[in-house]
Amino acid sequence: MNKISPNHFRVLAIAPSSRGFGFAVLEGPETLVDWGVKSMKGDKSIRSLEKVEELLALFRPGVIVLEDHSAKDSRRAARIRKLSKGIIALARRRNVTIALLLRQQVRQVFFADGQGTKYALAEILAARFPDELGFRLPPKRRPWMSEDYRMDIFDSVALALAVSQDKDRSIKTSIK
Amino acid sequence: MPSPQLPNYLRCNRKRLALSQDEVAFLLGVQSGAKVCRDERFVREPSLKTALAYEAIFEKPARELFNGLYQEIEQEVVDRAKKLARKMDHLNPTRQNTRKLQVIAKIVGRSNATIN
Repeated sequence: MNKISPNHFRVLAIAPSSRGFGFAVLEGPETLVDWGVKSMKGDKSIRSLEKVEELLALFRPGVIVLEDHSAKDSRRAARIRKLSKGIIALARRRNVTIALLLRQQVRQVFFADGQGTKYALAEILAARFPDELGFRLPPKRRPWMSEDYRMDIFDSVALALAVSQDKDRSIKTSIK
Repeated sequence: MPSPQLPNYLRCNRKRLALSQDEVAFLLGVQSGAKVCRDERFVREPSLKTALAYEAIFEKPARELFNGLYQEIEQEVVDRAKKLARKMDHLNPTRQNTRKLQVIAKIVGRSNATIN
């Protein structure tokens, strides 16, 4: 699945969560360079920003992708919104292009009708990167279960892929 | 906007195989995963022996695992080949010299090669 080509730009996607954040680094639409979850203790926002800074220094991405939490219908916690603003400020200081995607924009990339569950999206990604993500797909969440921490990886890969495989350049309009 | 290649792609290959840094360190014959960590974070360049061990573990050619480093070294070789070509420009056109110039021209023409 993975191919290496110098003609691709590197994308770092960050998916903040209550535990810390999930991240994915993609080169072009086919090469998953790194992925994982960073869990924090103590002041999660400050520790998260430190970790994001480390990732920016290590991978020197051309674009950083985040979910747009400033949207009216976003139900993310105040801490996550503040963290997103912090990451955007950090990326600006490092002259990294920032792409903010609405959840709906990500869904439209993977589902023909733009409708699909988070788990269905994770299954699509696990099938697309079987060696990298196949064995990391958690079991389907039941109503009484809390979300598996590994879902943060799939959230971030979806964001990165949405930008990387944007053939019709529709997402470019939201790059700030 | 193309991004420059990373010096190596060891981390993604290790994660793809679900191996820990300590497990890779054991396969490499080193004491702890710290050495693997340093390699993955581009802090140090591994020795030839270690690079070949990585090739054996990940079943990928070293030039692909160390793609950024390979491209950097290749560009340096190309630059030196250009200098050598200029030096050899005035040589007598014997069969041996013609062959040398062909080889050097081939190296010069190889700049910015891609692995696909």
